Amino acid sequence: MTRVLQQIALVSGKDLRIEARSRQTLGLVVVLGVLIVVVLGLGLGPQQVASGMAATAVLWVAYLFGGVLCFEKTMAVERHDGALAGLMLAPIDRGVIYVGKLISNLALMVALALVVTPVAVVMFHFDLSAAPLGFAAIMAGGFIGFAAIGTLFAAAVSSSKLQGGLLAMVVFPVSLPLVITSTQMMMRLFGEGEPLGMTGVSVLVAFDAIYLVVSWLVFELILEP
Amino acid sequence: MCAMNRKIMAVYWLVTAALFAAAVGMVFIWTPVESTMGIVQKVFYLHLPVAINTFVACMITFIAGVGYLWQRRQVWDDLAVSSAKIAVLLCSVVLLTGMIWGHSAWGVWWTWSPRLTFSLVLWLLYVAYLVIRPSIESRQRRALVSAVYAGVAFLDVPLVYLSVKLMPEIHPSSITLASEMKLTLLVCFVPVTLLSAGLIVCRFIMQREETRAMDSEDDTQTDPVPVGSAGGLT
Repeated sequence: MTRVLQQIALVSGKDLRIEARSRQTLGLVVVLGVLIVVVLGLGLGPQQVASGMAATAVLWVAYLFGGVLCFEKTMAVERHDGALAGLMLAPIDRGVIYVGKLISNLALMVALALVVTPVAVVMFHFDLSAAPLGFAAIMAGGFIGFAAIGTLFAAAVSSSKLQGGLLAMVVFPVSLPLVITSTQMMMRLFGEGEPLGMTGVSVLVAFDAIYLVVSWLVFELILEP
Repeated sequence: MCAMNRKIMAVYWLVTAALFAAAVGMVFIWTPVESTMGIVQKVFYLHLPVAINTFVACMITFIAGVGYLWQRRQVWDDLAVSSAKIAVLLCSVVLLTGMIWGHSAWGVWWTWSPRLTFSLVLWLLYVAYLVIRPSIESRQRRALVSAVYAGVAFLDVPLVYLSVKLMPEIHPSSITLASEMKLTLLVCFVPVTLLSAGLIVCRFIMQREETRAMDSEDDTQTDPVPVGSAGGLT
């Protein structure tokens, strides 16, 4: 068990070290996220912005586009100089590679959220102080499922020599149940002041669990050098 | 397709058309008009059977996807894509008939209630399934990615079904019908199911023929160059 954890830490640590040294993905993703928030803020107009409830939807748009870019970049790193073939030759389970990539993607998405969320909170007059833990829990639930499925399809799409936009085409519809559930929960939590309902939490946890297990099982089949 | 199969299919479609005519007759002549919604309620006799058949078509795509992952045979992928195409068609009918119902019952063509939203998501999922397939060049790779995608996309089907129970909703979760209405609804299930099954089978046969044509095309392209032809050692 400790050995597996060490292997996961090695794979994700490698990705995060590359990112820390190059700072290519995070810079791009954060700027894109802020741009999305600003453009949607201008597009929605002062009345929608003043309501404060548009922030959650706007944040999800920023997370979705930023997330897809993260998934693409973390897999694209492996395409250079046949690095993926080397990784696949390493005496580790393919599931370990999946979990390592998933953790890297989650770390990048959390970094994106840490920058973009305060921007949206300020611009959309969103009262995050009403339930900061609830917000973090819902977003964590959404992020895990989104990153789980995004990491899987990034490996599939990356192996298929597809154009970048198509990963979004694959991942967005599959992530919609997560987005819908979490925005509904946010509206109840912040709009109506209700506590987190068990139904919404159950749906989020169920989707996270299914996406994680399915992706972990199938990753081996889909990964090709 | 051989002559015998053609005859069987012709008989099948004739029976389906006759049953459809009978069902339409029952809906408009025999079944009473619903007091609240009036004539628009008749759309329900098409809406529910088509919705159930959409779920069945999605399930066939899912089972075929699992079959492909298990056996890696092209026939499973052909079945998956055939039923996915019919699932999109049926889901479009469900959304359109639902909109007609909604306009009469709620006064709007569309409302973001959970069941409607998840039905739209289901349609989007299978449209995306069909759109991304041609972008993957390798047939094995395409079948593999599609099989995984079909497995994940199928998760939306129970969500569509359970949405009325899990979340506050204006879409009816159960309807009390008069005995004539119940019988008509049951009768309507038969031609709609026959139509859906027939469409899937026809599309599957076409898909198999396309696959065979591509196989023979690949064989022609990979045939070895005959000895003495251009490019050989002289």
